[in-house]
Amino acid sequence: MKIVCVIPAYNEEKNITKVVSDVLPYVGEAIVIDDHSHDKTSPLATAAGATVLRHIINRGQGASLQTGNEYALKNGADIIVHFDADDQFLAKEIPDMVKPIIEGRADIVFGSRFLGKETNFPFSKKYIIMPLAQLFSRTFLGVKLSDPQNGFRAMSRKAAENITIDNRQMAHASEIQVKAFKQKLKIAEVPITVIYHHFGQKLSGGFIVIRDLLISKIIK
Amino acid sequence: MLQQIIAIIIIIFFIIKLNNQKRKKEISRNEFLLWLSFWLLALLAIIFIKQIDSLVHILGFSGSGINFLIYLAVMALFYLVFRLRLNIAKLDKNLTEVVRIVTINNKK
Repeated sequence: MKIVCVIPAYNEEKNITKVVSDVLPYVGEAIVIDDHSHDKTSPLATAAGATVLRHIINRGQGASLQTGNEYALKNGADIIVHFDADDQFLAKEIPDMVKPIIEGRADIVFGSRFLGKETNFPFSKKYIIMPLAQLFSRTFLGVKLSDPQNGFRAMSRKAAENITIDNRQMAHASEIQVKAFKQKLKIAEVPITVIYHHFGQKLSGGFIVIRDLLISKIIK
Repeated sequence: MLQQIIAIIIIIFFIIKLNNQKRKKEISRNEFLLWLSFWLLALLAIIFIKQIDSLVHILGFSGSGINFLIYLAVMALFYLVFRLRLNIAKLDKNLTEVVRIVTINNKK
């Protein structure tokens, strides 16, 4: 079974070598989508052993993931793992993420920071941003998952073929969850660890996500 | 009366400018017709401003006809901004698709 890890990266020269090296023991191929970085992300990722695709202009994380999915599917991937390039996820948790798919229990697996494993959340993220995102996700999107905004996920070939990521920026995380529920895919959640090196998405980012989701509802 | 004459002169100026753009083929026929109808409507509204005043009173709005026209113009502008936003979002989506195709083809 071919497991491919898709890593969207933008100006990640500090972390990309470590991330690719960490990930490679657990997957058949690591595909780095360099979203038109201005630093040495591409050559470093290539040197670390990744397959590198480079966007000719910056398009955002969602667009990079879809590029990675399409390339991986064309090259025979059975399972696609999405993994961040900023070294906040643990590569040793990839086997836990793909296990439900290999065992046929799930088509898509979402990582969750709220299922027991320790995560060093910034205070406002834990007590304000995440509860609000959870509430919005459950109420308006009909997504009943413990973690509404997590970039660590694994998709079977079937799931990747059926879910096209249209939101090119950060709203893709919610979009993938919504589409998984709408298409009645078998969904599983797996506890994961996140190590925050920086704050990540702020409350204002949450409003941009909502705006992008609304626009994508109107545009076909 | 003087204000009406000034407004009419301004509108005529824009219609002449529009016609020049059409002659130089800078705009399409449909776009020309769209803007021409807009300026002609504006011209009619200025000429018949008194009648619009009474119509506004009959409809029960407070304020004069010119205020009513400004409200309509603001509404039209909001709608145009909305349409523009949708068009930009569509272009953006298409651009992402082109970038994706180029990226994957470059890798082959």
